[in-house]
Amino acid sequence: MIQPHDDPRCEEALDWIEPYLDGDLPGEEAARLREHLGRCPACAAELQLAERIQRELRALPQLDCPPEVLERVERAGRGEVVAFRPRQRTSLRLTAAAALLALSVGGGALFLRLQRSSDQPSPEEVAQATAEAKLALAYLGRATRRASVDLQQEVLAKRLVVPATRGVVRSLGTERSDKGVLR
Amino acid sequence: MRKIVIAIAVTLPLLLAASAGRAQNLAAQPGYVPIEKLDLFPQDRLSVEINIEGALLNLIAAGARGSDPEFSSLLSGLKAINVQAFPLKGVDEGRLRTRIGNAVRWLEDRGWKSTLKVREGGEETYIYLKEADGRIAGLTLLSMTPGDEAVVLNIVGRIDPDQIGRLARHFDVDVNVKPAPAPPVKNDKKPE
Repeated sequence: MIQPHDDPRCEEALDWIEPYLDGDLPGEEAARLREHLGRCPACAAELQLAERIQRELRALPQLDCPPEVLERVERAGRGEVVAFRPRQRTSLRLTAAAALLALSVGGGALFLRLQRSSDQPSPEEVAQATAEAKLALAYLGRATRRASVDLQQEVLAKRLVVPATRGVVRSLGTERSDKGVLR
Repeated sequence: MRKIVIAIAVTLPLLLAASAGRAQNLAAQPGYVPIEKLDLFPQDRLSVEINIEGALLNLIAAGARGSDPEFSSLLSGLKAINVQAFPLKGVDEGRLRTRIGNAVRWLEDRGWKSTLKVREGGEETYIYLKEADGRIAGLTLLSMTPGDEAVVLNIVGRIDPDQIGRLARHFDVDVNVKPAPAPPVKNDKKPE
């Protein structure tokens, strides 16, 4: 707590504290201030407080002033009229476009990946499909068996070897054989 | 803002095209037949419907490589197997014969070559093959057995006739030609 200043020289001492701390007070006056501070606890407390404030202010981070602000301040100081420059939006637009593009590609890739993983059949589905594929072939086998035809030897092989012959026979209108097989 | 719109306008169609591309691949196969578009059977009354394609076929082929190499080899060349079977009990078979006839014409109009036609005792069986680049690229079976069932089958992909003939005979014997039973329905209510 700061004590009351009873000494009439306190007012002069308080005016000297700031220049004293900054090293700007001449030597004779600085000596008189030191002598007064030795006798006046209230002014000594003021000095301590001023030292602390200065120390803490110096401890704050130093921020660089943007060059364009400095330039404007300097030009304003010279009495020039300084107009505000329009904000640069091109880079912002490009960044937004790039981000959207990346989002589209990334989202699309994720969509395709998810679609692919959802298409991935489970082992049970594979087993079921295996049985279905065999069933499909069984239908083919049964149909040819009922037609009394061997698919391998009587139908498909002949189809590959003599398709033209069959075409001739058909064109002559003799399609139906004795077994009812049209060839 | 215009750049953003352009970026999105370029990126989104590419992604959508990549997604849709897989579905279009099968339809572009020369041996593919959109059997649902042939309008043969009422879709809500099918007894069997099989649609296997793409990655699933590859997985089946990979899974069967050790136990059944020939089956695996056949499947590894295929792009799709699609089957629809329709029970014929209490059905107007005359109408169905007309539809099968239309389907046969549809195939022939699109370059499918008849390999087998059987009409005997009301039973009808047709096998058509589609060739591309000198190889069989597709097989379609249409069959109808009065009082039993009618079947349309389309196998898409590289088909070796010897191999598919052997396997068809093999599975005709070994596989029960009935649809898989429906999974049991859970019933938490205890009988009284």
